Amino acid sequence: MKHDPTFWLLARAGGLTAYVMLTMSVLAGLLVKSRPFKALKPAAVTDLHRILAMLGLGALAGHAAALVLDTTVKVSIPGLFIPGLVSYRPVWTSFGILAAEMMVLVYASFSMRKRIGPKNWRRLHWATYAIFGAATVHGIAAGTDTTRPWAFSLYVLAVGAVAAAASWRFLVPATPARGRRRVTPARELTPRQGEQAA
Amino acid sequence: MSTYRIEIDRSLCSGFGSCVTEAPAVFAQDETGTATLLVAETDDDAVLDAAGSCPMGAIAVYDSATGEQAA
Repeated sequence: MKHDPTFWLLARAGGLTAYVMLTMSVLAGLLVKSRPFKALKPAAVTDLHRILAMLGLGALAGHAAALVLDTTVKVSIPGLFIPGLVSYRPVWTSFGILAAEMMVLVYASFSMRKRIGPKNWRRLHWATYAIFGAATVHGIAAGTDTTRPWAFSLYVLAVGAVAAAASWRFLVPATPARGRRRVTPARELTPRQGEQAA
Repeated sequence: MSTYRIEIDRSLCSGFGSCVTEAPAVFAQDETGTATLLVAETDDDAVLDAAGSCPMGAIAVYDSATGEQAA
């Protein structure tokens, strides 16, 4: 019987889609504060950041399901969650598993932000760099499309874009508002409002 | 023109500062970076963008007239 390639194609497409969504979500997240494009409203970019992360997780679920259903590479359901159980390139598939699990954690931390507190939420978000790195390594080393020019270009472009956005975020001084930071005592409020009204 | 009443959940504020960038007439950061209000009410529509840009979803904006949440 001829091997049905449907799930194998879906597994590859799902993985690449998840990677593109993750990359774009990271880029959106980095752009919220640094604002290299003044026309983009941070509120819209913040929304986009969350939506792309959610779509990425959706694609990831598709990637995982297709790998279990497909027979080209044998992946069991526990193998999806526990690193090292997949016999196909076990080290590189483990990078993908860890990246996916950390991504779920960072995504879920938004809903748990009240319980864990903003400091821990922010700390956890630093894991995103590890997630992006691990996902890139996983895609390049475990993916079977890497040798194709379009796929390789995608990885180069993604890493380049994230490196550029991260550099911009941390090297270029943020918007002037930070320089204007000040504490306003409550008593100052009344005369200020009076001035505006006058 | 609407007038808006603003509430900050300071326990959620991570000090990101996007609200100050969006609506500097309404928000400031104290010495810990936590957002504070310069005014309790405003007609500045920028507060809607400020609320939307908050990564922690810590800012609520209400229409003063109707009491309905605007952002």
